[in-house]
Amino acid sequence: MSGEALLELAAVGVTYGHGATAVEALRGVDLALRAGEVTLLLGPSGSGKTTLLQVMGCMLRPSSGAVRLHGQSLAGRSLEELTRLRLRHFGFVFQHYNLFPTLKAWENVGIALDLKAVPREDIEAEATRLLAQLGIGELAGRFPSELSGGQKQRVAIARALAGAPRILLADEPTAALDGRTGQEVVRVMQALAHQRDCALLIVSHDPRVEEFADRVLHLEDGRLARRSRAEDAPCA
Amino acid sequence: MRRPAPVLLPGTSLLAWRNLSHDRTRLIATLVGIAFSVVLMGAQFALLIGFARTASTLVNHADADLWVVPLGTTNADIAGRMPLRRRYEALSVPGVASVDEYMVQFAFWRKPDGGSESVIITGFPLASGRGGPWAMAAGSPADLHVADGVIIDRLYRDKLGVHELGQVVEINSQRARVVGFTDGIRTFTQSPFVFTTHARAQRYTRFPEDQTTYLLVKLAPGADIGEVRHALAERLPWVEVLGRDEFARRAQRYWLITTGAGAALLLAAALGLVVGIVIVGQTLYASTLDRLAEYATLRAIGADRGYLNRVIIKQAALSAALGFGIGILATGLLVLHSRSGNVAMALPLWSVLLLAALTLFMCLAGALVSIRRLTRIDPTMVFQ
Repeated sequence: MSGEALLELAAVGVTYGHGATAVEALRGVDLALRAGEVTLLLGPSGSGKTTLLQVMGCMLRPSSGAVRLHGQSLAGRSLEELTRLRLRHFGFVFQHYNLFPTLKAWENVGIALDLKAVPREDIEAEATRLLAQLGIGELAGRFPSELSGGQKQRVAIARALAGAPRILLADEPTAALDGRTGQEVVRVMQALAHQRDCALLIVSHDPRVEEFADRVLHLEDGRLARRSRAEDAPCA
Repeated sequence: MRRPAPVLLPGTSLLAWRNLSHDRTRLIATLVGIAFSVVLMGAQFALLIGFARTASTLVNHADADLWVVPLGTTNADIAGRMPLRRRYEALSVPGVASVDEYMVQFAFWRKPDGGSESVIITGFPLASGRGGPWAMAAGSPADLHVADGVIIDRLYRDKLGVHELGQVVEINSQRARVVGFTDGIRTFTQSPFVFTTHARAQRYTRFPEDQTTYLLVKLAPGADIGEVRHALAERLPWVEVLGRDEFARRAQRYWLITTGAGAALLLAAALGLVVGIVIVGQTLYASTLDRLAEYATLRAIGADRGYLNRVIIKQAALSAALGFGIGILATGLLVLHSRSGNVAMALPLWSVLLLAALTLFMCLAGALVSIRRLTRIDPTMVFQ
């Protein structure tokens, strides 16, 4: 575990709307995601978790503060530049898997590999290898509709790992799963993050996820209110 | 056991194909719509080309290098008149190898069992055979040596009340005997051509013996067509000298443009194009809306706009290819069927290629609405 800061947020604020109707979704958030570290972000509905995820995933530009990726500021980057950064550095796992229903499991992973310009002749083998790593290699030829919730989420994780990104962002990855399956999925993600020296951020309501996190952050009213397990050093 | 290699690897082509094929009902609706447009456009094109060919069929088949026509002639079917002596004047022009008189005049055909029809009497000199019937199905032009002999097309046998060779009818109250049938010589005016000798044509139409309607000029080998044409025009008063293609185009323009027939056909073809754009646009847009979450996911995981656009464009192109295949097959069957009917339809290769290009344009135009929608897609919706 190298512990290098891959993504840093400094005094990040996001405000929706203007004037009297303005809503502050995030206020002065300082946060760093480090290689090989699993961070759990907890918080009630409306606390700003989704907004924070959007900012960290380079989908939303903050109203104030700074975001740095591998030490480079993202200020002034165009939407298409941010898209390219997402493609190169991030893997996403979504609450509802967001698999392409018309594609088989390996093809879902293959799309991410195609986007990352993996040579076409290598795509099938690489996708199958990733699925095997997630323990579902034998399901590579199945469509999402033929998979259980846990299996779908494993396909989604395999897709997120395609192209070996260093930062994994997971939005409520256990919300659509039963307790045991959810824990299995998070255990797999934790193991992969440690093994690949990735920074993994899990946004969740689920307190059972806490046992897999290296540190736990609480977001309330747009502020990082409390830190537990490990001290998080705000970025300078 | 290793799976066989997939035909399509993950990418925009696979997504496009699966998006299309996954929803069979919508795919069928799309293809039916495109095929309908192709048939509509194709049938109008085939009619237009068929009509154009029919409108100039006499000119195209008369085997003349130059046509000498009365001043003001707009087409070959409606002719003025000129003195027959112009033939000898034309023969004296250097570079002219032969000149044949040619008669085209409307007349009334009385059917054997009563009733009458308008016909176009076409008279040519038997000696040269130039301007005579082609595509003989029964009998031959030489059979016109028989007294009162005429040749008609078998497409018009019922219309003219003729069922077999040798039947006797009346043309402008004069006796005529059917001695031959051609196959597929259609007429734009729906007054069938009746081929006979030049002298007999004069008689049937009560035309003065010293008059004719056209002269068909063949050039001597090596003669310059432009020079001969110029010399003929200078030598012969009150006539025009036209090249074959020029006269054919003039006839086509007259029948297709001045009568409005061409505009009507082109308008119907344009409607087919519009219908196709609307159908493809609607179905593709509905499909895009259904899959917005998938497109947002693609954007979220790093696909640029070009990648999304390629999926849509490939969907449109695939739809175009499949719909065109079905449509052109149906149009081809229509054209084949028309060969046994009075309606002229023709679909040469260039028109098939034009139709394919129009179908692709139609589908891509239909895809624009979807592409426009995708430019506004927000990847953050994947977290909502």
